[in-house]
Amino acid sequence: MTVEHFRVGADIGGTFTDLVMLGQDGTLHVRKVPSTVDNYEAAVVDGLAGLRAAAGVPSEQVGEVLHGTTVASNAILEHKGARTGLITTRGFRDVLEIRNLRMPRLYDLHWEKPSPLVPRYLRLAVDERIDHQGGVDKPLDPDEVERVVRRLLDEGVETIAVCLINAYVSADHERQIEAAIERLAPELPRCISSEVLPEINEYQRTSTTVINAYVMPIVAGYLRRLDQGLRATGLTSPLLLMQSNGGLISAEVAARKPVNIIESGPAGGVVGAQALAGKLDLPDIITFDMGGTTAKTSLIEGGQFTRSLDYQVGGGIMVGSRLLTGAGYQLKVPAIDLAEVGAGGGSIVWIDPGGSMRIGPHSAGARPGPVCYGMGGEEPTVTDANVILGYLNPDYLVGGELPLQADRGARVFQDRIAGPLDLELARAAHGAHQIAISNMIRAIRAVSSERGRDPREYALFAFGGNGPLFAAGMARALGMRRIVVPPSPGLFSSFGLLYADVEHHYSRSLKRILRDCPPALLNEAWGALEAEARSQLANDGFQPGQLELRRGANMHYKGQIFELSVPAPDGDFDAAKIAELEERFGQEHERTYGHRAGPEEPVELVNIELIGRGLPDRPLMPEQLKLATEAAIAPAAARRAYFGPEAGWLETAVVGRADLDGGRTGPLIVEEYDATCLVPPGATARRDDFGNILIELP
Amino acid sequence: MADLTDPIEFELFKNAIFAIADEMAVTICRTTYSGVLRDNMDFSTALADADGKMVAQGLTLPGHLGSIPAALAVVVERFGAEMGPGDMYIMNDPFDGGMHLPDIFIFQPLYADGERIAFAATICHHADVGGRVPGSNASDSTEIYQEGLRIPPLKLFEGGRRNDTLWSLIEVNVRIPVQVKADLRAQLAACHVAEGQFGELVERYGVDKVRLYMREVIDYAERLTRAAVAELPDGEFSFEDWIDDDGIDVDRPIRLFVTVRKQGDSMEVDWTGSSPQVKGAINNTLSFTVAHSVAAIRSVLPPNIPNNEGVFRVIKVIAPPGSIANMVLPGACAARGLTGFRMGDCMFGALAMMLPDRVGAASDGGNTGVSIGGYDAERKPYIYVDFACGTWGGRPWADGLQGNANMFANMASQSVEVIETEQPMQILSYEFVPDRAGPGRYRGGAPYRRDYRFLEKEAVLQVRSDRRKFRPYGLYGGWPGKPSANAMNPEGENRPLASKLTMTIRQGDVFRHELAGGGGWGDPLDRDPAAVLADVRNELVSPGAAADDYGVIVDTADWSVNEAATAARRAELRADRPAEPLKVAWHEPSASEQAAD
Repeated sequence: MTVEHFRVGADIGGTFTDLVMLGQDGTLHVRKVPSTVDNYEAAVVDGLAGLRAAAGVPSEQVGEVLHGTTVASNAILEHKGARTGLITTRGFRDVLEIRNLRMPRLYDLHWEKPSPLVPRYLRLAVDERIDHQGGVDKPLDPDEVERVVRRLLDEGVETIAVCLINAYVSADHERQIEAAIERLAPELPRCISSEVLPEINEYQRTSTTVINAYVMPIVAGYLRRLDQGLRATGLTSPLLLMQSNGGLISAEVAARKPVNIIESGPAGGVVGAQALAGKLDLPDIITFDMGGTTAKTSLIEGGQFTRSLDYQVGGGIMVGSRLLTGAGYQLKVPAIDLAEVGAGGGSIVWIDPGGSMRIGPHSAGARPGPVCYGMGGEEPTVTDANVILGYLNPDYLVGGELPLQADRGARVFQDRIAGPLDLELARAAHGAHQIAISNMIRAIRAVSSERGRDPREYALFAFGGNGPLFAAGMARALGMRRIVVPPSPGLFSSFGLLYADVEHHYSRSLKRILRDCPPALLNEAWGALEAEARSQLANDGFQPGQLELRRGANMHYKGQIFELSVPAPDGDFDAAKIAELEERFGQEHERTYGHRAGPEEPVELVNIELIGRGLPDRPLMPEQLKLATEAAIAPAAARRAYFGPEAGWLETAVVGRADLDGGRTGPLIVEEYDATCLVPPGATARRDDFGNILIELP
Repeated sequence: MADLTDPIEFELFKNAIFAIADEMAVTICRTTYSGVLRDNMDFSTALADADGKMVAQGLTLPGHLGSIPAALAVVVERFGAEMGPGDMYIMNDPFDGGMHLPDIFIFQPLYADGERIAFAATICHHADVGGRVPGSNASDSTEIYQEGLRIPPLKLFEGGRRNDTLWSLIEVNVRIPVQVKADLRAQLAACHVAEGQFGELVERYGVDKVRLYMREVIDYAERLTRAAVAELPDGEFSFEDWIDDDGIDVDRPIRLFVTVRKQGDSMEVDWTGSSPQVKGAINNTLSFTVAHSVAAIRSVLPPNIPNNEGVFRVIKVIAPPGSIANMVLPGACAARGLTGFRMGDCMFGALAMMLPDRVGAASDGGNTGVSIGGYDAERKPYIYVDFACGTWGGRPWADGLQGNANMFANMASQSVEVIETEQPMQILSYEFVPDRAGPGRYRGGAPYRRDYRFLEKEAVLQVRSDRRKFRPYGLYGGWPGKPSANAMNPEGENRPLASKLTMTIRQGDVFRHELAGGGGWGDPLDRDPAAVLADVRNELVSPGAAADDYGVIVDTADWSVNEAATAARRAELRADRPAEPLKVAWHEPSASEQAAD
C-alpha cells in the first residue's frame, strides 16, 4: 500500500450529497453538492470527480468507495418500487394488508393505513400447508403453482415475493415455487421468505420479503449505473454499501438483499461517532444528529451501538413516544436503534389556539426554508430564532453562498410570535430555542432513560447542520457535562462511512425451551450460519484470519411476546454453556426491565443470530485528522448574542475551530463551512488532535 | 393566560409534566411481564394535583379516559386528611371508584416541604384477579361476587412500609400470582419514576409555580376544548342502537340510547333511555361510560388537546343509576368491553347527526372474544384467548379501514405461526371475506374471517360475538354491513352457530368466525366506478354485487367499466330510491326486516 491511499465516503441525502475523501495521513477533503434527484448516482460520480480534481488525487489512489444512500427508502416512501407479485398460502392472502391491526394514533378518524406494497389482485394463494414442525399437511400442486406464476406474469409483475405459512421451519415448498418461477421467467427478480428472513411470525416475514422484492430491481439498477459511472471516471476500487445495521456489504450483495440498506443514510454518522469516541476513550455516548427537519439520537454503550431487531420504514417521526407503532412498513432486520423527532432548523414556530408557543412538526424544509433565506418562506422557523439570537451569522448562511435577510426574519417573528405573546423579541426567540430543546429531549429519553440508562453518565456527540448549535442546551437540560463536536459536523454522516467494517447478519428461528434444547441442535444450527458467513466473507476477499464471528440469541421467558437479544457463547455447546446463556438472558432482562424471573420460569429461545465481520488489514482511523482547506470564511471578531433573560445580551467572540487549540471559555460562536457551534457562557471549549471540539459545561 | 405565568416557562413545564406521564407509561410497558399490557397497552398513567384533579394523562387507552379522576376522587375523599409521604393506595372495586375488577389502580401522593402537591396515578389491566374463570373476564357471570377479588380503596404502603396483610391476600386470590405481583410492581415502579421526576420539577420551578402551572395546564386544556366545542353546531342530537343480547336472556335486545346536547362552548352527553342493567357481565360503571363518550367526542375535536380535567369541565356525561350505562350492585361487568365498543358506535351515530360530514358509519362493533380451553394428554391445562376486530365504517371522505384495530382498543393481533407453536391448534384462514362490507359511496371496511382447527382430544369453546341481529348501520344513504357469523366445520357440515356460545369441540373440528362488515356511507350509486372496479379486481366485491349494489357493470376480460351499461343500470336503480336518502340504515333499501336477520 502506498502512502497516497485515499478512501471515499459518499452520502446521499434529500437535498445534498456529501462527499469526504480521507488520506492515510489524516488529510480530509470534503465537498457538498446538490443531490440529483432524477438520477442520484450523477451527484456522486461528478462530485467525486470534482473533489479528486481539486485535491489532485488520481483515480488509482482511491482505495475504496463507501456509500450510504436513501434510494431504497425513497422507493418505498414514494411508492416507486417495482410492480411486485406475492405468492402465499391459501387462507392468508391478506397477511400483508391486515398487518398486526395496531394503529399509531388515538382519536384519529382520519387515519389511513399505509397502502400495501402489493395490491390484493397481485397477492395470490396456493393450496398447500406445512405444519409448525415442518411436516407437510397438504402438498404443493405443481400445476396450481404454474397457473399462479403465469397469472402474475400475465399481470406484468417485475418481481415476485414468496412467503408461505411456516416456511421458517421448512423451505421446501418455497423452493419449489422459486424453481417454477425460474423455469417460467428466468430473468425475473424473485425472493423467498425462507432465504430473506427464516424467522417465525408470518406478518414480519411477509412484509420484509415483499419490501426486498419491491426495491430489488430499483436498487440493482441504481448500483449498476453508479458502478459504471465510477468506472467511467477511471476508478477501479470496490464499491461498498452501508447497511441499516452499521456494517458494510458489497454492492453485489446489496443488490440481492436490498432490505439491509433501507436505513443506510443515518447509520454512517453513528458509526463515525462510535469510531471517534473510541479514539477519545469515551465508551458511553449519546449521538445527536440534527438537520433541517428532524433530529435523531442513538446510544453507544461500552463502545458498541445498540441495534433494534425490527423497525418501520416511513413510520414517520416519533409522536411523543415509541409505544405507538403501525405507521410504516414493517422490516424485521437489525438496524441501528435511532429515535427521531420532527425538530430541525426549518421547523415552524407557531402559537396554538390555547395560547402556547409550539415548534414543528411542520417544517419549511430546504424550500421555501426559513423566512431569513428570502426564498419565499413566510412562517417563522427555529433558524429565524437563531439568527435573532445572534447565534447564526446574520449576513450570510455559513458557507457563504446564501445571503440572509435577517431583518425580514425578525419582523415576521415579531409579528407572528413575540407580539401576540407580548414578549420581547429576543425573549420569544430564546423561548423557541428552549422549546425546540425540550421537544428533542424526548428523543434522547427514548434511547436512554426509557431503557433504564441515565443520560448524565454519557457524553453528547453532536453533528448534523444544527446539532452543534443546540448541543450545549440539550446537554444542560439533561444534566450531561461533556460534548464532542466532530470535524465537518455537517458532513459527518459521510465521514462516518469511512469507519465501518464489512458485516453480514444471519438469523434463524429455533423456538425451543432453552434448558431442554439438545446441545447438538444448537451446534448444528450455529454451524450452518457460520459456514454461510465464512463463505460470504471469503467471497468478499477476506482471509480466514480476518474473520470475526459473533453469536447472538433472541429469547424471552415463556409466555412473553417480545424478545431480548443477548450475546451467546462461542464454541461447542454443552449443558454448562446452555446454563450460561440462560443466565446472560436473566441479567439482560434485569438490566433492561428492572427485574428477572426465578428459575421456575423457563427461558425460551426464539431466534439464533450470527454476525460475520471482515476485519480490515490496517487501522481505518489515522492518528490525527486535519481538513485539507480550512473554510474560507473570515469570521467577524465578535457579535452580540442573547443567552436568556438572566444573562441577557453578551458580546460573544466569533472564532474558527483552530482558535480553540489552547482552550477558551464561552460565550463563543464557532463558525465553519457546514455548521455553527455554540459555546454558552461559562463552558470551556478546546480542539483535540482529531479536530474535535470538546466542550465542558460548568 | 394568567398574569403570573411566563408563556415560555409554561410551555416548558407543560412538556415536562406530560413527559413524566409518558415516561410512567413507558416504565409500565418496560417492566410489565404481561403481554396483555404490552401488546394491547391496556393501562394508563397520569399526574394529578393535590385535590386529585387530573393534570396530565400519559399515552392511554381511550377506554381509560376519565377512569383516573373517578377513582382518585374516592381516595382523596376517604383518606385526604390522614394521607402522608410514603403512602400508596390500591383499589379495583367498580362500586367504589373502580372500572372492572381486572383494572387495578395504584396511587401515590407526592410531597414537597411536607405538603401534598400532586398524585402519581396508574391503572393496569391484570391478567387474573380470581373469580369463576381464568382471566376473570367471563361474560356470563351475573353478579360482581362471581367475578373475582374486590379491593376497596386501601393503603398498600403506609409511610413507605408495605401492608403485607393486603399483599398476601391479593396473592392467594389470583391464579397467576407471579405475573400479577410483577405487574403491580410495574405500577409501583411507574409511581417511583413520577416521584423522582416530579421532585426535579419542583426543584426547578419551586412549589408555588408548580401549583400555578398545574392549574394553568388544566385551564389551557379547558380553553382549547371550549374553543373547539364552540365551533360545533348547537342543538340536541340523539341516536339509538341495540346490542343483540347479554348471552343470558338470549331473546332480549339491549337498547343503547344517547342524547348529545351542545350549547355554546359546553356539551352534555345523556344516556337516559338506555336499557336497565342486565344479568350478563356487560354492565358499565359510569366512569367507563364517560370514557367512551369523551373519547368519541375527542375524535371530532382537533388533535393535541391534552387529556386532563379541563376536558371534563367542558363535557359532562350523565346516565341513570341502575342502567347498563351506570350499574349498581350487584351488577356484573367483567366483559363490559362489548358495551363500551357499542357505546362508541352509538356516540358516533349521534355525532353524525350533528356533523354529517365528519363522522363515519358503524364499525364491526368491537372485539369478538374466542377462548378455547381444556387439558392436554398429560392433564396439563391450557387456555387460548383470542380477540378479533378490525373493520371501520365508511367515512364521508374515504372507505372504512379494514384490518385495523377498533379505535377504542388499539390492540395488536397475535402471530398465527406463534399460536401454532404454543397451542394445540392450527389457524387455517385469516383473510378478508368478499361481499360482506356495507356498500356506500364510501364502503365499510371488509371484515376478515378466522378459522381455528382444534388438534387436542377435547376442549370447551367459548365465543362472545355480537352484531348478528343488529347490523353495523350505514349513514346518509349508505347500507349496513353484513352481520357477523359463526360456523362449525365450514368446509364440511357448515353448521351455523349462535353469536354467544359455550360448547364442547373435538379433535379436527374447525370453528369459523366472521366479523361483521363495516357500514357504508352515502349512496352506493354515487361511488366512483373506478373504486368499484378496483374492489372487483381485488375480489372484495363480486361482479354480481357490483351490478346489484353499486350499479356498476365491470368487464372482467379487460378490467374496465362498461360505462354505457353502468349509466343505464344506475338510472334504473336510482328510480327506486327515496327522494331523501335515509340518515341511518339498518337494512338494504329493498330488503325486508326478516332478510336482515
